[in-house]
This record gives sequence, structure tokens and C-alpha cells, in this order.
Amino acid sequence: MLFFSYFKDLVGREVTVELKNDLAIRGTLHSVDQYLNIKLENTRVVDQDKYPHMVIQCVDYNSVFSFCKLSVRNCFIRGSVVRYVQLPPEGVDIELLHDATRREARGG
Amino acid sequence: MVLGLRNFTERVGNAAGEPVLDAANGEELMHVQPGVSIVLGNRPRESAGTLYISTKQVIWLSDADRAKGYAVDFLSLSLHAVSTDPEAYPSPCLYTQIETEAEDDDSDSSDSESSGTLDLSKIREMRLVPSDPIQLDTLFQVFCECAELNPEPNDEEGEEHNWIFGADQMEDEEAGIEGEDDISQNPTNSIGQSNGDHDLARTVLELQINDQRFEDAEEMEHDEDGRHI
Repeated sequence: MLFFSYFKDLVGREVTVELKNDLAIRGTLHSVDQYLNIKLENTRVVDQDKYPHMVIQCVDYNSVFSFCKLSVRNCFIRGSVVRYVQLPPEGVDIELLHDATRREARGG
Repeated sequence: MVLGLRNFTERVGNAAGEPVLDAANGEELMHVQPGVSIVLGNRPRESAGTLYISTKQVIWLSDADRAKGYAVDFLSLSLHAVSTDPEAYPSPCLYTQIETEAEDDDSDSSDSESSGTLDLSKIREMRLVPSDPIQLDTLFQVFCECAELNPEPNDEEGEEHNWIFGADQMEDEEAGIEGEDDISQNPTNSIGQSNGDHDLARTVLELQINDQRFEDAEEMEHDEDGRHI
């Protein structure tokens, strides 16, 4: 739940959501719910060099319908398929996160 | 639960017909969208059909062929998105990614595609192309609502989300951190007993988590015992 409250504060900022299938999508965080389902706006798939798996997928699919051409207006991502969310540095309050994670680790 | 796309043929009555839903388990129809064609993976676009969105699943039924229909549970839909970029797909569509049982093994899917047989359980992308693109936003919203109705089963966080504490409470707890640090410095004092300032709910919560910690510790002790013997 730490992350739910935390992500809510990031609404309106640019984040990169990396999925467990190695697809990474960058966009403006529109909303997040308690299951960490994430809605992005103005999305685009980012930096294929950084995500070689996606390039492999493109090669294998061998068609214009492949992941790397995924360019969508708005996007709903199921919380359970998210591996990482990359945050904007200016949106990270390290002190606050530090305290919150410590509290979480203690069981609060 | 079976992940992925599957065939769906149970229709009400004899006409083109609505899909038979699992009403006994509370499944309800949320939205019907006629005039939607479907694209599975990178196969060609199929003829027009009707899209039925229920509280549990997305069902597409062919208008022409009563025996033809596909369904996928919302639990298997990793993401859905409005795609209007002609480079991504020539027609505006709702793009979805489907989680499949099969591990990421691209050779399998290309095999099945090259041999011409359609293995639905390996389809990882589905596009729904409405005859009128203006319907896309509605479809997107309905998909969002229904996805939120279907959280992961056995998701502990999902069950416990009523723990959410607001920012006010977080501030309260920060005020108490100094005292707690004193306690943590004294290892003989078990956490959870000395926090008189906290309400009952918080104490119970801490005890639950402490229990889990003890379980872990016991397992580790067993391991160590085993190694000694």
C-alpha cells in the first residue's frame, strides 16, 4: 500500500512502466488504483536498444504489428504484469520513501 | 484458471445470439458493441462480429458463423490500449496483450502460425477494430472498469487494502518514530508490546507481521538443525 499512495502522488508525471514481458512503455501517469493497475496517456514504447528482448520479438514477429511499433494514445496496464516503474528523479522524495520503506519493513 | 484466448461457442437461442454467461457466479453483461472485427496475433482481420464485454471476460462472436467465437478472461489481459497510429495498425483499434500459459517461446508460436493451424492458447495480441472509431474511447473505458473488477486471485495486498493509511496517519507515525527506535535498540523488548500509543488495529497488524517473521525464523532454524545433523 505504500506504493499505492506513493504512485498517486506521481499522477501527471512521466513514468516508464516495464512489463514482465520486457516491453517498456513511457507515458504520462493518468491514474493508479489499489491493485497498481496503471493508466498512461500519450504513451510510446521506449528505447529499444535498452530492451533487446523487444527487438527480438520484433524480429520474430516479422511484421508491422510487432510490439516495437506499439504507439498508443492511452493505455491500461494490469498491475500484476508490471515489473518496474521508472520514476522521474524530481518526483522522488528520498527522505519520505526512506522513512516509509523503513516503516513498511518494521511491519507498519 | 486457464490463461489466454479460447474458443467460445455457447450462444443463447438459435439466432446469432448472445453468449451464455456464468450468471450463477455473478457474471453480468456490461457492454455490447456490434460491428467489431477481430485480429488475432498477426493473422488477417476476420469478418465482422459482435463484442460482448462481461464482468469476467471479453467475448467476440462472429455474425456470419455461429460456430465461431473467441473469449478471453480479464485476468489474462495484460494491457489494453487505444491505437490510432496508422503505423501500428492501419485501422484505429483497441489493442490488447494477452497473457498465455505458454512461457515466452517464440519458436512455438511461429511454428503453429507457419503450419496454418491456429493455436489460440499461444495468441498474445488481439486487436478489436470497431466499424466506427468513435466507439474506441467507450470500449477503452469499459475495459478499464472490468479489469478493475478482476484483481488477481489470492492477492494478499488486494484483501488487505483496507489498511491504507492516509497522509495524516503517516505523519502521526513519524512523530512516534523516535520512541520506536529506542525499542528496536533493546532486543529483549519484542516489537508490538510496548507501543502503547497505537490503536488496536495497528497492534494487531504488527502482531500479524511479527508472526510471519517468526515463521521465517523457525524455518531457518530447521534448516540449520538439518545441516548440523
